[in-house]
Amino acid sequence: MTSQRPTVTIIGADGKAAGAEVLPKVFSAPIRPDIVKHVHTGMAKNKRQPYAVSEKAGHQTSAESWGTGRAVARIPRVSGGGTHRAGQAAFGNMCRSGRMFAPTKIWRKWHVKVNQGQKRFATASALAASAVAPLLMARGHQVATVPEVPLVVDSAAVAGEAVAKTAAALGLLKAVGAGPDVEKVKASKKLRAGKGKLRGRRHRQRRGPLVVYSTEADGKDLVKGFRNIPGVETCPVDALNLLQLAPGGHLGRFVIWTSAAIKQLDAIYESKKGFFLPSNVVAQADLSRLINSSEIQSVLRAPKGDARTKRGAVQKKNPLKNKQVQLRLNPYAAAFAKEKLGELKADEGKPKPVPAAFKEQLHEV
Amino acid sequence: MSNVSADLIWEVSRTYNSFLVKRKSGGAPQFSRDPLNLKNLHSRKFAGFANDKALGVIPNEKGGVQVISKKPASANKPASGLYTVTYGGNKTSRKTYKAVANQVAKNGYRPDLRQAAIARASAIRRSQRTPKPDPVKKPRGAAAKRAAAAKE
Amino acid sequence: MVAAKKHIPIVKKRTKRFMRHQSDRFKCLDSAWRKPKGIDNRVRRRFKGNLAMPSIGYGSNKKTRHMMPSGHKAFLVSNVKDVELLLMHNKTYAAEIAHNVSSRKRIDIIARAKQLGVKVTNAKAKVTTEV
Repeated sequence: MTSQRPTVTIIGADGKAAGAEVLPKVFSAPIRPDIVKHVHTGMAKNKRQPYAVSEKAGHQTSAESWGTGRAVARIPRVSGGGTHRAGQAAFGNMCRSGRMFAPTKIWRKWHVKVNQGQKRFATASALAASAVAPLLMARGHQVATVPEVPLVVDSAAVAGEAVAKTAAALGLLKAVGAGPDVEKVKASKKLRAGKGKLRGRRHRQRRGPLVVYSTEADGKDLVKGFRNIPGVETCPVDALNLLQLAPGGHLGRFVIWTSAAIKQLDAIYESKKGFFLPSNVVAQADLSRLINSSEIQSVLRAPKGDARTKRGAVQKKNPLKNKQVQLRLNPYAAAFAKEKLGELKADEGKPKPVPAAFKEQLHEV
Repeated sequence: MSNVSADLIWEVSRTYNSFLVKRKSGGAPQFSRDPLNLKNLHSRKFAGFANDKALGVIPNEKGGVQVISKKPASANKPASGLYTVTYGGNKTSRKTYKAVANQVAKNGYRPDLRQAAIARASAIRRSQRTPKPDPVKKPRGAAAKRAAAAKE
Repeated sequence: MVAAKKHIPIVKKRTKRFMRHQSDRFKCLDSAWRKPKGIDNRVRRRFKGNLAMPSIGYGSNKKTRHMMPSGHKAFLVSNVKDVELLLMHNKTYAAEIAHNVSSRKRIDIIARAKQLGVKVTNAKAKVTTEV
C-alpha cells in the first residue's frame, strides 16, 4: 500500500495548532502485547537489590539428634541443661526459632537478560500503542480533552527556561489538555496495603503523562519544571525506556512529545545498527475494510442460496404436542380432528359371529 | 493508522482495561464503565472505546437524554471526536425514541445498536421521574395489629 | 424497584450442607467439607447410610444459578457509580451494598437505586434504627 504517511498536528503553548509534522515510522510498528509483556517482565527485574536472611539464622546452636530409642522425634535437639531451651528441637523449618525452609540467598538469579532486538521491538511496539487513543483510554489515561494523539507540543513552548518552573510546566500541561490526567493522578494517591509501607513504598498512585524531549533542542531545564508534578515523568528521546512506555507491561502510556523530539525519532531508529523497525504481517489490520474492499469483492463469487436459508438442524419437536409438526408429518390429521373421528364410538351391538369355516381352520390340528 | 483496527484494540484491551468492572459473586459478571457503552456490558459489540463507531446515551442535566457518538474520521482526536445531540425532557418519550432510533440507525451508523439505544434512552427517561413513595407497610400478625390499634 | 425477569422455577437439589466425615464426633473437626481420602473410608466408598459427598450432579440449573429467590443475582456495590452500572440490568441484577459503606453514603446509594429501579438487597441495613 502506498498511502501517504500520516501527519500529526503540533500544538502550541496556547493549545492551538502550530504546524504539522510527518509521523515517524515507529508509530506504524505492529502492536504486540505478548512481546511487550514478556520483555517488561524481564526488564522490570533488573533494578532489584539482593536480599536474604542471615546465613546463620536458626543455626546458632550446637543441637544434635538424640537418635532412636528415646521415644522422641529424631530432630536435632539443643544440648545441655539448666534452661528450658535444653532439649528443644532446633534447626528444622518446623521448629520454633529454627531456620526457614530453603533460606533465601543473595545469589538468587535476580536479573534477567533480555535480548537487545527484543527490547527494541517492544519499545517500538509500545510507542506505536502510545499513538492509539482508545488504548490510552483503556489504560486509564484521562485524554478526553487532548486535541490529538500522539500529542506533540511545540518545542518553542518548552525550550530553555520556558517551563523550568513547576507553575509554568503545569500551565502548559493544562493548556494542551493534559490537565485531567494530572488531576487524576493527584487524586489517586493512597496508602499502600501491606508491609511495603515500611519498606520505602508508602504510597501508591497512578502514572500520568510521560514528557519526551530532545536533550539537544529542548535542553534539560524542563525536567526541573515537571519533576514535582505528581505522576508526570520525563524522558529524553534517545533513551526511551519500556518501563515508562508500558508501565506494568500494559500498552498505551500517554506520551507528550516535544516537536524536536518527534522530529528526531526517525533518525534515532535509522542510527540503530543492525535493527530494522518491525513491519506488519498484514498491511491493513482492519479486516472488515479488507473484506469489503473492491479488490476483494470483485473476485468473489456471489453468495449461494437465497437471502434466507433454512436452518439445517433444528430442535426436535414432539408431533403429538405440536400441531404444526404433526400436520407436516400427517396431513390427514386436520381432517381427522375436524370430523372428530377420534371421539367416535365404535359401532354398537354385538360383534358379528365368526364364520364357521374360519374357526375350523383356526383349530385345525 | 493501518496497523491498528478495532479488533486489535479489543484483543489488546479485552483482558484488562480501565472500564472493566468484575465481581466474583453472582455469576462473576463483567460490566463496563465506558460512557459509550449502551448496556454497560463488557463485550466486543458494546465496547465503545474499541469500536470505530460507537454510541452512548447519557442523562441530560435538565431532563431528557444526550446521545453521544464517535466520529470515525477523527478517531485519534479525543477532544473533537465526539458528536453530542440533546433530546430535552419536554419532548415526548415516543418522539425521543424515534429521534434516537433515526440517529442511530437510519443513516447506517450502527443499526445493530438501535434497540439497545432506545432501551437505554427509555430507562434514563424513567429514572428521571420522581420515584413513587414506598407504600405504608401493613402490620402483620396479631401482636403488630394490636400494637397499631393501641397507637391510634 | 423492578421485579425480576420471568424465569423457570428455582430448584435447589439439596439445601443441607455437606458435613465433613466424623465432624460430628470430634469437636476439633470443623464441619467444612473435606473429601475423605482413606483407603477404607466408608464415606468415600459411598456405603449405604453414610454421609453424601458433593458432586457435580447437585449443581443448579444454569438458568437459575446464583439466583436469589426474587430472581435477581446479587452485584456488590460500594458507591453510586457502581449502582449506575445496573441501569440496563435491573431485571437481572440487584445491588448489594458492601459491608464497609457508611450509613451516610448508603442513603445516597439507596436513593439513586430507587430512581434507577434497582433493587437493593440490604437497603435496611445500617440505615433504619430500632424504635
